[in-house]
Amino acid sequence: MSDRQFVIPIGPQHPALKEPESFLFTVDGEVVVDVDPRIGYNHRGIEKAMEARNYIQNLYITERVCGICSNAHQTAYTGAVEEVAGIEIPERAKYIRVFFHELERIHSHLLWLGVAAHEIGFDTLFYYIWRDRELVMDMLEEISGNRCNYAIPTVGGVRRDLQKDKFPKWHKMLDTLAERTNYYIKVASTEQTILDRAVGVGYVGKEDMIRLSGSGPNARCSGVPCDTRKTAPYLIYDEIPFEHIYVDNGDVLGQVLVRALEVLEAVKICKWVLDNIPDGEIAVKFNPMQKVPEGEAVYIVEAQRGELIHYTISDGRNMPYRHKIRAPTLGNIPSLVERLKGGYIADIPITLAGIDPCFSCTDRMAFYDEGKDKSWAWDGEQLRRHGLEWYKK
Amino acid sequence: MSNLVTTLISVLVFPGLFFILTYSLFAQWVSRKAAARLQNRQGPLHTGWQGILQPLADFIKLLVKEDITPAAANKPVFDFTPLFIFALPLAATFLIPIQSITNLWSWEPVASFEGDLIMVLFLMSIVVLAIFLAGWSSGNLFGAVGATRVAFMMLAYEIPLGLVAISPAILARSLSINSIVDWQVASVAAFLTTPSLWGLVTGMVLFIGFAIYVICLLAELEMRPFDMSEAETEIVHGWQVEYSGKKLLLLNAGHDVKMVLAAALLTSLFLGGPAGPVLPPFVWFILKTTLCVLILSNMSVLFARFRIDQLVSGAWRYLVPLAVLQVMAVVALSGVI
Repeated sequence: MSDRQFVIPIGPQHPALKEPESFLFTVDGEVVVDVDPRIGYNHRGIEKAMEARNYIQNLYITERVCGICSNAHQTAYTGAVEEVAGIEIPERAKYIRVFFHELERIHSHLLWLGVAAHEIGFDTLFYYIWRDRELVMDMLEEISGNRCNYAIPTVGGVRRDLQKDKFPKWHKMLDTLAERTNYYIKVASTEQTILDRAVGVGYVGKEDMIRLSGSGPNARCSGVPCDTRKTAPYLIYDEIPFEHIYVDNGDVLGQVLVRALEVLEAVKICKWVLDNIPDGEIAVKFNPMQKVPEGEAVYIVEAQRGELIHYTISDGRNMPYRHKIRAPTLGNIPSLVERLKGGYIADIPITLAGIDPCFSCTDRMAFYDEGKDKSWAWDGEQLRRHGLEWYKK
Repeated sequence: MSNLVTTLISVLVFPGLFFILTYSLFAQWVSRKAAARLQNRQGPLHTGWQGILQPLADFIKLLVKEDITPAAANKPVFDFTPLFIFALPLAATFLIPIQSITNLWSWEPVASFEGDLIMVLFLMSIVVLAIFLAGWSSGNLFGAVGATRVAFMMLAYEIPLGLVAISPAILARSLSINSIVDWQVASVAAFLTTPSLWGLVTGMVLFIGFAIYVICLLAELEMRPFDMSEAETEIVHGWQVEYSGKKLLLLNAGHDVKMVLAAALLTSLFLGGPAGPVLPPFVWFILKTTLCVLILSNMSVLFARFRIDQLVSGAWRYLVPLAVLQVMAVVALSGVI
């Protein structure tokens, strides 16, 4: 490190990060030359906790993995469990799951657009976008009673039905959302101060993105068509007509465009679901004490932030032997480092926020000895003892 | 004796310390409320009518907060710079014509001499130096980055700011703010009795100067889109990051006074100062400066924050040539009218 360079710590506590995570930036003046990410500040032992609870209790844990993509986690979890248990859910339940999946995508993407505007110091746009986001929040609250953690999917179907008499009202709300999103796309692609801060910032090309195995809007903004809803359709996504959104900008503007266009597609999907939803049951019965046959299953959904993988192993009891969650942010961190290098300090927040990081989904804890190439994990008691020792010092 | 009393009153009460401080709180409220309404928010609401006492409540709150000096800070510099940041713009406001306390229809400033315009510009530059020292002495990385950004920003806006401020002085053939106001009043009166093409052209050229001056003042006041020196999402409030309690109070008060000073300069150099029909000068001063504060806060909600390199290159590519052209036009015009 030359004497012109110094290290700026961003995180674990920093206003640009909504969750604790540490990034050490080596900067030369205003230019970032190296980034050292350190994940693992938000480990909550969720996977371990799931091994001690039955499949219905685990619904509530998976939902709380993340506040924004709670429904995506539940969709993936129930999908995996139903695959192991051999449960076929009713057709209407699939439609309702898709409806919520897309409503959640709208709310998450609009939230991100607002945050992105805030990160580049455009608070006016932030307030406007979040005002309009209240529409979709109201819809979610009207159906489920909650603004986040909707508790809609359950093993064997969904927990709440959509009421037919509300459909015209929801159609109107969705139309307003589409109209406002179109307006924001126009603002983001014409307002010069936004373009100054977004074009060419945090660029990663298509080849690099494939090499660094990014997923979600982070990869689709670099021209990689990787939407799981298209490449490996689940639920009823193979029947729904919608566009596979990807652009080849590769920078922050691309991320804005991908997310804004996906909001429009999500609105289209929601309207299609409302028009085509079949009548019938919304769930088949699943008893918490019911034993699930031995086996394993992987279920992949396209969460708002990218490819979300739930992997479950059953050993024949009424609780999983092991449940593994792979959140999209983990896969996006290598490309995030690539995006940050060579940029300005001023562009760190927007580039960081650009992948829509969700560290609470991502963090795991394990020990790894580089010299001996050996890795191991601690159990709860060891963690507790370490915590006590640490604060005694 | 009575001369001493009037001087003391005009320095301490009106239009000096007390008036300026009260008015700066009001200006802060106007700026916050206007920005909030433009951003579809309510802004201050509960303290007093429409939250008009909120700035005062904030100050009282900061008074009772703990005042921390970090161990890594350079203590004397860290302690004294807030005083300078507060006192320097306050001193500059004494040179602005607002209202004479002996004559209701006159606007003699508290202190006035040939060249006080230069004095005001000098004081405003010294504030930037104090801000740089404040950030640098705090012993915080974000503070240091914020401080260097403040210094960089000065490179961008200081030249056009000075150039444009001189152009009304060239027309008035005086470097005293009071004489510039007098010249504006006289020439507007002359224009109203005998409208001429040259008067119109002068007005337009001065309007360009006004626009450049507003942009430079936004940078001087560290308001959006030029608030990169305190950019909260990037460097956690930059040079102010380690300040708390009474020192932060002084910094905030200094910022408010600087905003009043900026609006007052805009008013005095381009909008005819406190002069106006029917109402006494200080009412016109308040009306015109509030208009300027509204312009500043309106500009600050319209854009995204620039990057520091974009500000510097943009300023040298567009603002400086435009300011030079404007001054050249003013010099040419001063030969005609």
